[in-house]
Amino acid sequence: MVSAGQASEQGQPAALPRILPPFLRPARHGLPPLLLVLPSLLLATAIVVYPFFVIVRLSLSNVSPFGQLRGFVGWANYAAVLADPIFYGALWRTLIWTAAVVGGTVLISMPVALVLQQEFYGRAIARIVIMLPWALSLAMAAILWEWSFNADYGMINGVLRNLGLSSGAIHWMARADTAFPVEIGVGILVSIPFTATIFQGGLSSMPTEIYEAARVDGASGVQQFRYLTLPLLKPFIQIAIVLNVIYVFNSFPIIWVMTHGGPDNSTHILVTYAYELAFGLGRPGPAAAISVLMLAIVLAFTMVYLHLQREPT
Amino acid sequence: MKRKLRRSVVCWLVLSPLIVLVLFPYAVMVFTALKPTSEVMSYPPRWLPRHWSFASFPAMWEQADLGTAIMNSVVISCGSVCLALCVAVPAAYAVARLQFRLKPRYRLFLLVTQMLPPVLLILGLFRTAAAIPFGDGSLVNTRLGVILIYGAFQIAFSVWMLSAYFTAIPRDIEEAAWIDGCGRVRAVWHIFLPLAVPAIAVCALVAFVAGWNEYVVALTMLRDRDKQTVTLQVVNLVAGRYSVEWNQVMAATSVATLPVAVVFAALQRFLVKGLTLGAVK
Amino acid sequence: MARQTTGFGRRAVLGGAAALPMLRPTWASAAETVRFVVAEYSNATGPYFEQMAQEFHQANPGIDVKIEVVNWNVLLQTLQTDISGGTAPDLSIIGTRWLLDFVKDGVAEPMDTYMTPDFKQRFVPIFLQPGSIGGKIYGLPIAASARAMFYNKAIMTRAGFPNGPTTWDDVVAAARKIKGTGSYGFGLQGKEIETDVYWYYALWSYGGELVNSQGKAAFDGPAGVQALTLYKMLVEQGLTESGVTSYNREDLQNLFKQGRLGMVITAPFLIGQIAKESPNLQYGIVPVPRGTTQSTYAVTDSIVMLKSSRVKQAAFKFLEFIFSKQPRVLFNKNEGFLPTTRADAEDPYFADDPRLKVFIDLMPHAHFAPVIAGWEDVAQDVINSLQSVYLGNTQPEAALKRAAGQADQVL
Repeated sequence: MVSAGQASEQGQPAALPRILPPFLRPARHGLPPLLLVLPSLLLATAIVVYPFFVIVRLSLSNVSPFGQLRGFVGWANYAAVLADPIFYGALWRTLIWTAAVVGGTVLISMPVALVLQQEFYGRAIARIVIMLPWALSLAMAAILWEWSFNADYGMINGVLRNLGLSSGAIHWMARADTAFPVEIGVGILVSIPFTATIFQGGLSSMPTEIYEAARVDGASGVQQFRYLTLPLLKPFIQIAIVLNVIYVFNSFPIIWVMTHGGPDNSTHILVTYAYELAFGLGRPGPAAAISVLMLAIVLAFTMVYLHLQREPT
Repeated sequence: MKRKLRRSVVCWLVLSPLIVLVLFPYAVMVFTALKPTSEVMSYPPRWLPRHWSFASFPAMWEQADLGTAIMNSVVISCGSVCLALCVAVPAAYAVARLQFRLKPRYRLFLLVTQMLPPVLLILGLFRTAAAIPFGDGSLVNTRLGVILIYGAFQIAFSVWMLSAYFTAIPRDIEEAAWIDGCGRVRAVWHIFLPLAVPAIAVCALVAFVAGWNEYVVALTMLRDRDKQTVTLQVVNLVAGRYSVEWNQVMAATSVATLPVAVVFAALQRFLVKGLTLGAVK
Repeated sequence: MARQTTGFGRRAVLGGAAALPMLRPTWASAAETVRFVVAEYSNATGPYFEQMAQEFHQANPGIDVKIEVVNWNVLLQTLQTDISGGTAPDLSIIGTRWLLDFVKDGVAEPMDTYMTPDFKQRFVPIFLQPGSIGGKIYGLPIAASARAMFYNKAIMTRAGFPNGPTTWDDVVAAARKIKGTGSYGFGLQGKEIETDVYWYYALWSYGGELVNSQGKAAFDGPAGVQALTLYKMLVEQGLTESGVTSYNREDLQNLFKQGRLGMVITAPFLIGQIAKESPNLQYGIVPVPRGTTQSTYAVTDSIVMLKSSRVKQAAFKFLEFIFSKQPRVLFNKNEGFLPTTRADAEDPYFADDPRLKVFIDLMPHAHFAPVIAGWEDVAQDVINSLQSVYLGNTQPEAALKRAAGQADQVL
C-alpha cells in the first residue's frame, strides 16, 4: 500500500497555511530553510569547491613538478592533453570501464535483489554475505584480488589447476586483454552490495495488491516483472545508474593497485592517468586539466541522462 | 513448509556463484593470515596451511602499530559521521519538508560535489588544509582535518538519502502536534527524529564505512605514524616494499575489516528496513 | 622564480598566527625541531632513525628531530604535496635521480657552506659525485647499492655453468638448457619501478649510454637496439619466466628465493632476504653479464636539505651525526647497502664479507644514473616501450625511437 508520506507529498497542503503559524508556511523569502541548509553549503564549499578552484587554477598555469605556480598559460595544458594519444586511449577505456562495470552491476544486482526479497531459509545470512564487499576498503580489495591473480602464488590459478582447467600458470596481469576484464570484474563485485541494497529498497516499497490482481488476471511471473516491477523500479534504477556512473568513472584504487595503468598504458583510465601525470611524471598542470575535463564529462552525462529520463507528466 | 524449503534451495543455488565470488577474497585473506611465513609462497599454491600459525597476528600488530591505528580509524570515522549527520540532517529536513526557491539549484550543487573525486583534488585539499591554522601548525597532519574532509564529501550522499526518507515520513503526527501548540522545534525533536532513526542509522553506517576504508586523503593528510588509520597501515605493509610479508598483510586486513563487517551485520536489518520508508525522487 | 602563494588571505592568516609565539614567554628557550622525511626501505628503517634521533637529542638537547617514515611508492607524491602546500620538511631522503628536479625548481639547498673539508673527506668520492650539480653539493649519499647477478648454484650447475655466466652468450646458453626443466632461466623484470634499469644493464654492457653529451636521448642507438633485441629474443624463446610484464622486482626475487629461477640481477639486499627466508638456498654472485664491456648500475639515494627550512644549522648538525661511523655501519647492516663513507667501508663487516666484496669490486665499472631532469618521466617512456616489445607489439628499433622522441621532450 502506498505509504502515507507519498499521499501527503502529492496533495499540496493548500488548506494548511491558514492553520499553520506564519513562520511555518512555505516562506517566500525562505529564511529558516536557508539556515538549515547553510552549514552543509559552507562545509561543501570550503572542502570541495575551493580545492576545485585551486585545481582549475593549476590547469591554467605552468606548474612545476612541485606544484609551484609559474605563471598563467591559458589553454596550453588543455591543448597538450588534447594532443596526447594516451589521453584518448584512457578516455575510450574509461567509457568502456564505466559502461561495463555499471551495466554488469545493474544486471546482476537486479536478480540478486529479487531473490533476496523472497522468503527463504537463511535469508539474513545471505544478505550479510552479499554485503561483505562493501565492508572491505577498495584499496585492500584491490590488493587481495591482485594477490589472488598472481600467476605463481595466487589462488585463482591454484583453483583452476585443482579443477583441472589449466595446466600452466596464467599470467592474468601481464596483458591488458586479460587484466582489464579482471579489473572490470572486481569493479562489478564491489559495486553490487550498494546497488542491490537500492533495488531491495525499491522492491520492498512496492504495493503487493497489484501483483495479486495481476496473478488473478493470469499474468505470468515474467510478465509481472516486465510490466509491473520494472516500471515501478525505474526511479531506483535511474538513481543506481547515476550514482554508479559517478563513482565508477572516478574509481581509482582498483586499476592503480592491480596494473598501475600498464603495461604500456594499456589499462589506464582517465583518473589513473591524471594521477600518474601529477605525481609520477611531475606534470600537475595537464593532470589538473584532465580533472576539469573529467568533471565536464560526468556532468554532461548526468544532465543529459536525467533530462532524457524525465517523464512528460 | 515444503514450498519454502524448495524455494530456499532454488534461491541459494541462484545466489551461490555470487556468494562464492564474494567469499573468495575473504577466504584467501584468512587462510593466508594463518600460514607461517615459509608457506605463504608455496608453489603450487595451496588453500590450507600445512602448519596453522597465528604468529603473523601479533607480529603485524606490533609492526603496523595496529592498536593505535584502530583508535585513529574509530575516532576519524565516528567524527566524520557525527559531522556529516549534524550538517546533513537539518539540510535534509529542509529539502524534504520545506519549500525554498533555491532548492533545485541546491540539489544540483550537491550532486556536482559528488562528481569530484578526492584523489584528483589532493593538491587543492592539501593547500586548503595547510592554510588553516590549528594547534601549533595547520590542519595538515591532524585527524580533525581528515574528519572535516570526510564529512564534507559525505554530505551530498547523506542529504540525498536522508531527504528521500524524510519525505516519506508522514507529516500528520507532526502537524497535529504543531496545531496542538507544541513548538516547531520540540515537535521535530520529540516526534520527527524518533521516526527518522532508521534512516539516520543507515546514513551513519554508510558514512562510517566510507571513512574507515578511505585511503588517498588519509595518506596525504596524516604523516605521523601515531595518527595513521588502519587502512593506511595495511596498504603501507604492501606498497613499495622490497619484500612483502603477505601473511602479515592478510592478518592486518582481517583485523581491519572485522569491525566494519560486524557493524554491517548488526545494522543490515536497518539497511533494507530503512529503505522501505522511502520512494526515490 | 617568483613563487605565488595560493589561497586568499593565507599570508594574512599565517602572519597573524606567526605573531602568536611572540606572546609566549617560553619562546626564547623553545627547542628547534628538525623534520626529517625518511623513505622506508624495510621494517628496520623507521626504528633505526628513531634511535638515531634519540641519541642525537641526548647529545644535543636543544634540537629535536622528528622522523616521518614514508613509503617509497608515495614518497615523491608526499614531497610534492608538502612543497606545494608550503609545509616542506627540513630534510628528506630522495632518490638521487630526482635531484635535478629539486635543484631546478629551487627547492634544494646547497650544502657546501655547511660542510667543513673534514666532513667532505668522510665520503668515498665516487658516491658524492651524483649528489653534486653545477659544482655544488645538494645531496649526501645515505644509501648506495650496485647491481650484480645472483645465480642458483644447483640450476646453473646442471646447465653447465657451476660458477655462473660471464657473458650474455653464457646466459643464453644456460637458459636454453634450463628451459623445459620446470625452472626458469633468466629472470626479466617487466613491471613497475626499475623495469627500465633492468634493461639498462644490457644497454651499458654493449657500450650504450642513456643520454649523449648534449643531454638528449641516446639509448636508441645501435647498442640499445642490440640490447633490446637480445631481451626480446630471450622472451620469445621462453628463456625467461613467462608473463614477463606481470613481474615486478619483488616477484622476480620471490621466484629466485623459491629456487625456481636460475639467474636474476639485483642489489645486495637480496642477500639478507635469502638468509632470512630461504637459508638453504645455494647461490652465487657474479658481475652483470658482459656484452662488449663490463659494467653495472650503481645507484644512490641522497639526503637533501630543503631551501624552505628554517633550522638549517640544526639540520646539518644532525647530518654530521648520522654520517659518522657507528650510525653508518648500523644502517648498512640493517638494510644491506654498500658503505658510502670511508670509515664504514673499513669496518670489518664490510671489508671481510666475500659476497659484498663482489659488489664493491664492481664499483670501478659502475654507471650511475645520469643526472637528468624528469627521470621518472623518461623512465616511464622507456618502460612503456620495453613492455610493448616484451608483449610482442613493437619491434625494438621502432619502440626505442618512440621512447627517445618522448624523452627528448622532457630532457
